[in-house]
Amino acid sequence: MVKKRLIFTLLYNDGGFMLSRNFRLQRAGDIKWLKSNYNFKNIAFTIDELIILDVSRNGRNLDRFCEHIKMIAEECFIPIAAGGGITSYEQTKVIMNSGADKLVVNTTLFRAPNFVKELISTYGSQCIIASIDVKRPNDQAEIFIDNGSTKVEMAFDEYIDRITGLGIGEIYLNSMDRDGTGHGYMFDLLGQLNNSVNVPIITAGGAGNWHHLLEGLQHDKVDAAATANLFNFIGQGFPNARRQLLESGIDLARWETSNYLDLKKN
Amino acid sequence: MIVIIDYGMGNLFSIQSALHYLGAQSITSADPHIIHNADKLILPGVGSFYKAMSNLKATNLDALIKKAVIKKQTPILGICLGMQLLGSSSTEDGFSNGLGLIDCPVERFSENKFANLKIPHVGFDTVTITKENKLFDGLDSRVDFYFTHSYRMAFTEQAYAVGTCSHGEQFIAAFEKGHICGTQFHPEKSQTNGLALLKNFIEKI
Repeated sequence: MVKKRLIFTLLYNDGGFMLSRNFRLQRAGDIKWLKSNYNFKNIAFTIDELIILDVSRNGRNLDRFCEHIKMIAEECFIPIAAGGGITSYEQTKVIMNSGADKLVVNTTLFRAPNFVKELISTYGSQCIIASIDVKRPNDQAEIFIDNGSTKVEMAFDEYIDRITGLGIGEIYLNSMDRDGTGHGYMFDLLGQLNNSVNVPIITAGGAGNWHHLLEGLQHDKVDAAATANLFNFIGQGFPNARRQLLESGIDLARWETSNYLDLKKN
Repeated sequence: MIVIIDYGMGNLFSIQSALHYLGAQSITSADPHIIHNADKLILPGVGSFYKAMSNLKATNLDALIKKAVIKKQTPILGICLGMQLLGSSSTEDGFSNGLGLIDCPVERFSENKFANLKIPHVGFDTVTITKENKLFDGLDSRVDFYFTHSYRMAFTEQAYAVGTCSHGEQFIAAFEKGHICGTQFHPEKSQTNGLALLKNFIEKI
């Protein structure tokens, strides 16, 4: 049986790593800060997967973004997914050559579904994560694209049917209402997912402490729980959360987390 | 010098990063001279078996690898598709012969044995060590690694399978036939478990 997963999402914006609250961004620091001051390695050795998203609001610089992926990937020995603004095959080649194993697509799912199909036939389903940003102002979920700025005029169920029909490998379901709040995942949103959806679901948006991660991972529709908050699990927060999840019976992968410095020789 | 064979298939960056982290010198190359003089070889790979073998044949790398491994006894580690290529054949995209360094065919996972079985098999899963070996030295008898694949070598009682995993059926997760090794999982994507295994390959095989 494949294990459940704990995922960390890094939000990249124009050379910096960001905190997001309801999709409003605040810069936390650059790559040097992330590696040295923040000691990202401590988190990297306690998660199952890393997602790096280019959420730059004022134009994207792919080469610079990929340099950052490389700098992170060179000391991060887990699957890495990357995306943000993917619209061409050439872009995906550069991203995949920078240490990424999977691609994250969001706006392009809606704008260019045939292009997503091509990506799937080139890289395989398991390589493509469909990211969906959702608001739930009432009992109806609304989908947004373009970094959460454009509402998609399509019902939630129909949209899910449409993207799963393309053959995507998994769904990253992000609650914009809960994003950065630390109030826990939006379970109503997960409840709205049709039982026929049979791709892995990553729940995102709202995790503020390890109990939230536990609630997420205990949900029968959830395969992975993600957090993008740089400060809710600072210091030993993430290592402790992982230990507590394992002790609570969540079937996560196990490895020695304390010996990574002993193995390091360069 | 460890040579990561570059034949246009797969994530070389991650393997090289892992070796660098462990303090091992490595180079990615398709140069016959460099491959011939390698202390150790790593055959990576992501993608289609058929295409991979075509690439290897087109550049004569298939003969070169066999010569290094059989005549020079150069240790080799095949990873994921690279492991499969060391086998005898695969049914992916038709039928193609592999390098034949391990007498084992590669086939797709059997469909529909269990309704909820997902193919490809993607994620961390537990490998059970089946016999004494060097690759897993120092690791537990049940240890987790990251997999992503739709084809596998079915498990039979071959002498060289050292780790198995189960996904609807038992398959070979790792083999070690003297200096010829392969892992269906990605050690370079499996945290300290994978780093420890790579370290064993570097120091003990």
